[in-house]
Amino acid sequence: MQTFFIGFFGLAAVVFAVGVFRTSSMMRSALALLFSQTALGALFLAMQAEFLGVLQIMMMATEMSIMAIFMVMFMMDPGGLGGMDMSHQKRLSLLAGLGGVVLVTGIAAYTQWEGLASATEAAAADEQIRQLGRELLGRSMLVFETAGITILTAMIAATAVAVKVPEQGGSHES
Amino acid sequence: MNPELLLALLTGAALFGVGLYGVLSQTNLVMLMMGIELILAGALVNLVAFWRFLHAESYAGQMFVLIVMTVMALEMAVGFAVATARFRTRGSVEMEEARELKG
Amino acid sequence: MNAVLLGLGLLAGIYAVALLEDRLTRGSFAPAAPLLAGIALLARESVVARKPDRLLFETAPVLLLSAGLLAAAVLPLSPTLVLVDLASGALFVNAALAYVLVALLMAGWGPDGAYAMVAGWRFLGQVIAYSMLIVMPITAVAIRAESLLTTVIVVSQEGWWNIFYQPLGFVLFYIASLAVCFLPPFDRPIAAGELAAGVEAEYTGARLAVLRLGRMVLVVSLAAATTVFYLGGWQGPWLPPWAWGATKVLAVAASMLLAGYYLPRLREEQLLAWCWKLGIPLALLNIFVVGVMVLAGL
Repeated sequence: MQTFFIGFFGLAAVVFAVGVFRTSSMMRSALALLFSQTALGALFLAMQAEFLGVLQIMMMATEMSIMAIFMVMFMMDPGGLGGMDMSHQKRLSLLAGLGGVVLVTGIAAYTQWEGLASATEAAAADEQIRQLGRELLGRSMLVFETAGITILTAMIAATAVAVKVPEQGGSHES
Repeated sequence: MNPELLLALLTGAALFGVGLYGVLSQTNLVMLMMGIELILAGALVNLVAFWRFLHAESYAGQMFVLIVMTVMALEMAVGFAVATARFRTRGSVEMEEARELKG
Repeated sequence: MNAVLLGLGLLAGIYAVALLEDRLTRGSFAPAAPLLAGIALLARESVVARKPDRLLFETAPVLLLSAGLLAAAVLPLSPTLVLVDLASGALFVNAALAYVLVALLMAGWGPDGAYAMVAGWRFLGQVIAYSMLIVMPITAVAIRAESLLTTVIVVSQEGWWNIFYQPLGFVLFYIASLAVCFLPPFDRPIAAGELAAGVEAEYTGARLAVLRLGRMVLVVSLAAATTVFYLGGWQGPWLPPWAWGATKVLAVAASMLLAGYYLPRLREEQLLAWCWKLGIPLALLNIFVVGVMVLAGL
């Protein structure tokens, strides 16, 4: 049963991911990415990581909606009605993508996973959330706080880059 | 061999491949960022799969997933900031027009 | 069994909300009016705009409806009457509500109409701001309950409901839920007086019926969320738990509709400025205060 759901949602995620680059409508592209990520959230749920799955589903909805508005803003042809081609070096990219898949799959297939496993039974969902909280505010607190600082830095950096620079000498003319 | 683990890793590999294709083939900065999101999504799948099927007792694995999700959000924030700045000064976010970045 | 009971309860709630909205907007009270209006909508021709993005146009109403239903699925009406008691239920409510945004963006983009599209993008700004005011007060609620299970959250309010324990959080959550289910004064995406009914402008017939139904489900879901997180859910004397739960949900839904009736509609930038500059700092303050109160053992 679990195998079926993992396969199903995994397949859905990959199909939507391919859809991202197969349409020329920006809105469809962003929504395909959103549903690919949502399928991943469902995949996490199927792997009994309930908190992570719900978090993924929640975060991506907002994130990809923001992505959609930026894409529509910055594109010359957001509706994709003009049939513009927005790609280059297709052959190389396709080869690199396929090569990546083959390489990673090969590594996954040839690794001896049996000896690496230390526990294969997941705890109940509410116990997981409690333990994750203890991990975040205990042993991994420094990492967690570093992530917080990084977010702050990125926010400041992003604002600094994106704000409009006042024109030089603009005040003299007025 | 654990078939569920292999299936999840296969999904991760496929997402990585699609993302890599997107990053290399798209000419637009925003589309390129979608490719990066997909590559990171592939990493997410692998991390959750490793936590669930190999080390279900260690919650550091779940925390790693949270950190990667943070990275995804940050990549978007900074990427859009750069895109906005470029659009203001150059009027487009096409990567082929950004030749001056090449040393 | 639970699913059937909850479904019937939801239907009754939607009907009551529709009646009340009818009374408030049109001033007439006819018990059969929502039913007749629904039948009329279903029978009418469902026009498709010229050159639509068909996929998004068709999916949007269904997605809105399912987002509302999913949010309702984790909220308990009584200790046993809950569809799925998810261990991360409080977070799941927020996850489901995020898809309201996606649905309206799709509805705005799909029909290829200027008014609809502007309304959809406006709603994006509104919900990104106000969904912060959904998730931050829920954080404070979860801090007190020490759990994300919705049933545990209700039990944690034994004796002292959250509306008294964290009134600031309640006010913020209440306003944000008005904004998320785009009731007046936050009804910019569909208001007839703004952008010619905005997102709803291009929808007719059966599709409009689904869109409106989705919004009604959303109103009831958010009223249920307010009840569960702040008004002690099923708790109350004398009456059986489900009766208390249902009464509170209906009362909250009625108050939400009434609030819109008496409040003026704000301009877009005022709406956003108040949320980002005032609402979010207050929500953070609320989390801090609740944390201190929990540590102090109150």
